[in-house]
Amino acid sequence: MAQDYTEYLAINVLNEQQLVSYRSLSRALKVHSNLAKQMLYEFHRKQNAKKPGSVHATYLITGIRRAQSPAHTNGVHSQEDGDDTVMQSSPPLPSSFAPHHEEEAEEPVAVRSVLLVKEEHLEQAKATFDSVTGIHINSLQANGLSDVQSLTECNRKIVESYASEDPLQAWKQYGTIQNPNVKRRTQRKGPPPPARIAKDADAKMKPLAPTTKPTALEKQASKESKDSQESKPASKPSSAKATPEPSKKPAAVNRQGSDIFKSFAKGKTKPKKEDSQSSAEATAAATEPEDEAMGGFSEEEDDAEDGAADVDEVPKESEGKSKKEREADLQAMMDQEDEIMEDAAEAIPDKTAEEQDEGAIDKPDSQQAEEPAKDTVTMENGRRRGRRRVMKKKTVKDEDGYLVTKEEAAWESFSEDEPPPKKIEAAPAASTNKPAAGKKAAKAGQGNIMSFFSKK
Amino acid sequence: MSTEATTLRVIIAAFTDFLTVAIHTILYERAIYPPTSFLSARKYNLSVRQNRHPKVCEWINDAVSAVETELLKGVVGRVAIVIYTKDNHPVERFMLDVSRFPTVALADLDTPLERTAANGDRLPILPRIDMEEQFRATLSRLASCSSTLKPLPEGCVFNIAVELKQDGQPPLNHPQPWMPVQSAKGDAVGGQLQKKAVPVRSIAAGELLLECWIEEADGAS
Repeated sequence: MAQDYTEYLAINVLNEQQLVSYRSLSRALKVHSNLAKQMLYEFHRKQNAKKPGSVHATYLITGIRRAQSPAHTNGVHSQEDGDDTVMQSSPPLPSSFAPHHEEEAEEPVAVRSVLLVKEEHLEQAKATFDSVTGIHINSLQANGLSDVQSLTECNRKIVESYASEDPLQAWKQYGTIQNPNVKRRTQRKGPPPPARIAKDADAKMKPLAPTTKPTALEKQASKESKDSQESKPASKPSSAKATPEPSKKPAAVNRQGSDIFKSFAKGKTKPKKEDSQSSAEATAAATEPEDEAMGGFSEEEDDAEDGAADVDEVPKESEGKSKKEREADLQAMMDQEDEIMEDAAEAIPDKTAEEQDEGAIDKPDSQQAEEPAKDTVTMENGRRRGRRRVMKKKTVKDEDGYLVTKEEAAWESFSEDEPPPKKIEAAPAASTNKPAAGKKAAKAGQGNIMSFFSKK
Repeated sequence: MSTEATTLRVIIAAFTDFLTVAIHTILYERAIYPPTSFLSARKYNLSVRQNRHPKVCEWINDAVSAVETELLKGVVGRVAIVIYTKDNHPVERFMLDVSRFPTVALADLDTPLERTAANGDRLPILPRIDMEEQFRATLSRLASCSSTLKPLPEGCVFNIAVELKQDGQPPLNHPQPWMPVQSAKGDAVGGQLQKKAVPVRSIAAGELLLECWIEEADGAS
């Protein structure tokens, strides 16, 4: 392991003359960032002992800066290093992350700054600090760094190469700063996840509006006993599209009760869309129970709504156009009074139908275990009669006084002319529905299989 | 952008964009103009430097369109960005070898090109992602080049030169953008440099085949 980093750094910094930052080193060698910083320091020291000036470093200094007199400030950045014109000239440079010039020159305000300096300006920069709380090597390069902006390339490469890693698992390894309250939101998808019991059974999970990732996230009721609903930490801001998808699907879990806001959330992916379409007809009837539940939630969820409203707007873009209008309606609803919500709820039967469908997906085991999986369908004279399983919603009051809507399968008889509607199985995509329904009919009414197919 | 058929004109347009950015980068790196006159821009998803002075930008744009005209004729072998000292001695040359661009007849400049692999599959003429990635890499290398090269003396100036292929006719029309220079001793434009070549990168993106290197004059000028 000790040899690895020396070798890796020798190849990348010296031979290939690339810029290696502590972040890229930690990702490449799968070590903690602090360890990577130490590795960089060691390598820098050894190489410069062997051959001075072979490896240059940039440092990151954190601390409280000495108050700058107004004569030194030049409006945007206060000039710390007289020679370092690169850091001075262009405002977008990340040379200091905290504003370090005070408007009121009278009272010196303690300004905590994070400063990126080249090694030649290190002593100078340290002198401008009152107290230095932290200093570490940010990157190494073979020759001097001419343009600080080339450091941005390191970060871009990290995001590009390591986008597939789940930051919520990787953070422990790399040492990214993690908010302990952050939870990922589940992804709804077509196939039911087999018996996924929640990993973290936190009862109270506050949705973190500013840190939730825009794409594919659903709003989450903080009071629901949702398990393993996680939103992405802000530490990986740019890997929005790639990272949520693969890693959140496995995290979809059984929820104890369906979340009301899930009916409004738009962070759904393609399999979910197909599911919703397939279930739209069958579950259009059961929208009424939704109303009281939604009404109950709107009063209690004001703060969550505002934050989640932002989240929902972005998933809007990633969804199909047909949902956009509905999403807009929902958003408008949620920002208004209860009555409006209840009225508008009827206007969106499709949406709630999808909602029920998702609830069905998420509790496949418990439901299917209890009731027989197949429906009986008999065919007589072109009319289908039989029993089928339908998801019905039941709203109950929780121990805390919260309304919880549960999806429950219920049997009902039906009689209709058409071939049986697409089942609300957790089967993915419409392609399997018809054959699946066909097969079930065949199982149930043995002698009628040919008449089923003749209908097509 | 990907829906249009890729013609030679498109390839050359992509190259001239890259050439413009490369010139700005070189000007920044070699401090031909003061660093404060450059602003940060973004090209090919990379942060690059661009000069702010309108005359500089105008000159560069004119020069690059003149290069483009020659490229469209298919006579250009190499494009060079030459750095001269105050007394007109060339001290550095940034070379871009474009001789491997596809050659088409003048009438076919706008004809879509097609490329098939050995097994008959259709290959992309100009894969944009590959091209951008390689341009990015080249520009990063150029951006860090100044640390490897010897520091330039004060007051250097720069110029753009094209070296024609063997059979190329020098452009001598009325509004003459180019100044013909006799190649000394059969050598390239810029006179005879005791050269040291530093490779930068070679780019191969579909039909866009390019090589880039830096020539340094060894002797002190």
